[in-house]
Amino acid sequence: MTTIDDASETSQQTRLSRRMRILLFFLVEGIAALAIGFAALFLSFDPVWSAEQPHAVLRPGTARSGSLLLKTDDGYTDALRLGIDVDLTVSGPTIRARVTQIFRNPTRDWMEATYVYPLPAGGAVDTLKMVVGDRVVVGDIKERQQARAIYEQARSNGQKAALTEQERPNIFTNSVANIGPGETVLVQIEYQEPVQQDGNEFSLRVPMVVGPRYNPLPVVQSVDLRADGNGWGTTATDPVPDRDRISPTALDPAENAPINPTRITVHLQAGFPLGEVKSHFHQVNIESPDTTTRVITLAGGPVPADRDFELTWKPAAETAPSVGLFREHVGKSDYLLAFVTPPSIEQAQQAPRPREVIFVIDNSGSMGGTSIIQAKASLLYALGRLQPTDRFNVIRFDDTMDVLFPAPVAATSSNITNATSFVSALQARGGTEMVPAMRAALSDTNRDDADTIRQVVFLTDGAIGNEQQLFETIGALRGRSRIFMVGIGSAPNTYLMTRAAELGRGTFTHIGSVEQVEERMRGLFARLENPAVTGLSAKFSDATADLTPAALPDVYRDEPLVLAAKLDRLAGSVEIKGRVGDRPWSVTLPLANAADGKGLSKLWARRKIADAEVARTTRQVSPEDADKTILALALEHQLVTRLTSLVAVDNTPSRPDGEPLKLAELPINLPAGWDFAKVFGEHPRQPAAAPTERRAESGDARVGDSRVQVASLKRPGPVIAPTPAPVQLPKTATDAELKMIAGVILLTVSLLFLVFNRRQMSPR
Amino acid sequence: MPRFIPPLASALLGLILFGQGAYIHAKALLAQVLLERAFEETIVTGHPVKPWSWADTWPVARIEVRRIHVSEIALAGSSGQALAFGPGHVEQTVDAGERGVAVYSAHRDTHFRFLKEVAIGDEIDVTRSDGKRFRYRADGSSVARFDQSGIDPLTDRYELVLSTCWPFDALTSGPERYLLHATLIAPDSSLSESGS
Repeated sequence: MTTIDDASETSQQTRLSRRMRILLFFLVEGIAALAIGFAALFLSFDPVWSAEQPHAVLRPGTARSGSLLLKTDDGYTDALRLGIDVDLTVSGPTIRARVTQIFRNPTRDWMEATYVYPLPAGGAVDTLKMVVGDRVVVGDIKERQQARAIYEQARSNGQKAALTEQERPNIFTNSVANIGPGETVLVQIEYQEPVQQDGNEFSLRVPMVVGPRYNPLPVVQSVDLRADGNGWGTTATDPVPDRDRISPTALDPAENAPINPTRITVHLQAGFPLGEVKSHFHQVNIESPDTTTRVITLAGGPVPADRDFELTWKPAAETAPSVGLFREHVGKSDYLLAFVTPPSIEQAQQAPRPREVIFVIDNSGSMGGTSIIQAKASLLYALGRLQPTDRFNVIRFDDTMDVLFPAPVAATSSNITNATSFVSALQARGGTEMVPAMRAALSDTNRDDADTIRQVVFLTDGAIGNEQQLFETIGALRGRSRIFMVGIGSAPNTYLMTRAAELGRGTFTHIGSVEQVEERMRGLFARLENPAVTGLSAKFSDATADLTPAALPDVYRDEPLVLAAKLDRLAGSVEIKGRVGDRPWSVTLPLANAADGKGLSKLWARRKIADAEVARTTRQVSPEDADKTILALALEHQLVTRLTSLVAVDNTPSRPDGEPLKLAELPINLPAGWDFAKVFGEHPRQPAAAPTERRAESGDARVGDSRVQVASLKRPGPVIAPTPAPVQLPKTATDAELKMIAGVILLTVSLLFLVFNRRQMSPR
Repeated sequence: MPRFIPPLASALLGLILFGQGAYIHAKALLAQVLLERAFEETIVTGHPVKPWSWADTWPVARIEVRRIHVSEIALAGSSGQALAFGPGHVEQTVDAGERGVAVYSAHRDTHFRFLKEVAIGDEIDVTRSDGKRFRYRADGSSVARFDQSGIDPLTDRYELVLSTCWPFDALTSGPERYLLHATLIAPDSSLSESGS
């Protein structure tokens, strides 16, 4: 028994000690592995930390930064600077704006600057002044080519010169030549604009930045056959022939400080006691010298020009004046501006007419950031407002397009749920091919259905360069559909919105922030759901009038009818007639009681020019005749148009002969809330970078490749200047070191193992 | 006896791994000798010469940095096979000396290990396979993702970019690349043949 016990005890002891040994072994092994691991860690990472510190050149942020910096030989880097001062005076129905652009040249070179900037689409630009030191040079209106020739002549003569050209009714370019080293040149333009009225709210907008536009490329040539049908036509090869002129470089806000500091002052003389005055997107200080006047300035000093300035004001009284009549005497003629808001008659007893509503939402890259959130919120609100009797459909587009239902469907709860989840899942990316989407929205499946009203609600920022193509599509296909544009974002293209709404006989609603979604969409739905004032006409009792708009548009609830007229004499009255729903309505305004207004002739001329452009778009007038009309009006009223420019030349030459002149195209901010990567970085330029397509290095392949690269640069993209096709870099790390270190660790471990084994064996 | 098996297995594995690592370096070193020879022949004959019969690439340029005594023969293409033997001339970028950006890439732990020692202002000489020699001056560096290199291949300037993986001393490969930018300062004719 005892022996057995002893034996079992000794065996237990040996088992224990073996266990101990194994434990000890693993402990030692673990420590060794840890030690080597640590050594490897320090070996590999220590130099990385130190490498980043001493080499200042290694920092990725500073290497190769934006194009704003102009490098000179002595390392002095700086560029032309721009400051903007906007001074607005609201007198009753009109706004007089003075925009001063301050070009400062801190470099040592003679510079020429070009700056692309937006103005309100309805603005009539009539004055250009250039201030050099204490000299003021006033610009003249000239035909566009002539003005450019004068400017270029002055530029090569070394004279200071300024040129204002219109690229779109809401995009202008200022060029300033021969700004000397260290010099500052002021360029001042002035424009006239009518105040916007919506119900009892009045508003003004100052656009401050041109959002980067998507410029589609010609894939198929469009042929323009003349109406007289002789069979010969011209091919338009490019939907945006002036793409370079409307696309200034936008700086990535993540890498560049905001530029183009802007000051804004508004002198508001409403002509009636004022109630609430509100700036929607900027912090402002408001002074009240008396009940009808306000002075509005920016609270925090200058702001970067990256979003529109919007100011709204309401009268102190419950309801806004429903009629406004203003006159101005210029030359031999009297000009009249009338605002008439038809009464909003409540719905008659019968049920509202059923509607077919097509919602179109732009989910292109330019809508990235806050815009897509606003657009989705607006559309979701709209879907929630549909009545069971309504039919609807949803279209989304970027450079591709999806139509949710094959044909418009009834607004049942399941269909709306379906649409809601479709909209909620949308992501902003890609280009903006707006024309096919508009075409799809206007394709009317039951166009003879007279009982329903067909409405297209189009949500977009309008960031495209081929506006004309869109207008032509609307003009040709609108049929019975009415188009309601909803402008989204901090800097929408108001020209596109207003003209599209005008051609589509609808309205333009602007939504600039998520907070505005509900209020503005409610306003829009009041228009969609209530009958419009139709069949409007105006008749002057005594005077002969040249009236604009020539064909009075339908007016929606709370919208005023705005009329401008040129009269031979100010006598008698004007009677405006129409139908609200199915009830006749008329109002008579005695002309003699009109109040004095300022700049009404310019507004009339501007409005006439817009009429001529619309007639040109809808092919009611031949392009030649339309251009003739526009040119005559522009020259008579001194307005900048598509065909006329303002040019100012300082007679004293300043740049000495032989000094070179450098051109600086001033960059702009990206509109606030936009996502730079979505706009500019979205298109990976595959053809140039295709890593899978490895070609043999022969001369022929080379040529082929470079062609592919050029073609890739011409791909449609919201990109402006040719953007470099990125080069993809190969993987350039081997696992040699990793393998060697692992090998050393394993070798060490096995060595320890062996030593341990030897020691274990030796005592036996 | 079985107790010897684990340490021996581990030792064997260690040796294999170490050997593989060393083999990569050895291949890189040896290949350069063969490439040097092939490149000399290329310049003389004017045709691409393969460094060894089964090679799927051939030398296209010699990159030298005189200050730190570095000379590497670059190969056509930047496939993994090519990069094992020398720097690769990235496809679809121009040849050295031409308008645009010539991009050469190599492993950070073999051929372009020297890149961290290149300082701004260093002269980089590139000899093409036609014997023409161009001198560039390093004027900047940057770190970028491999697919966002920011290199504009159609630039109007004459530029050279040498690229390798970043960070230099990391053990695993990542998406970041170190780019050394250089600009042409002297075209072929003004260089004497005194160098290298």
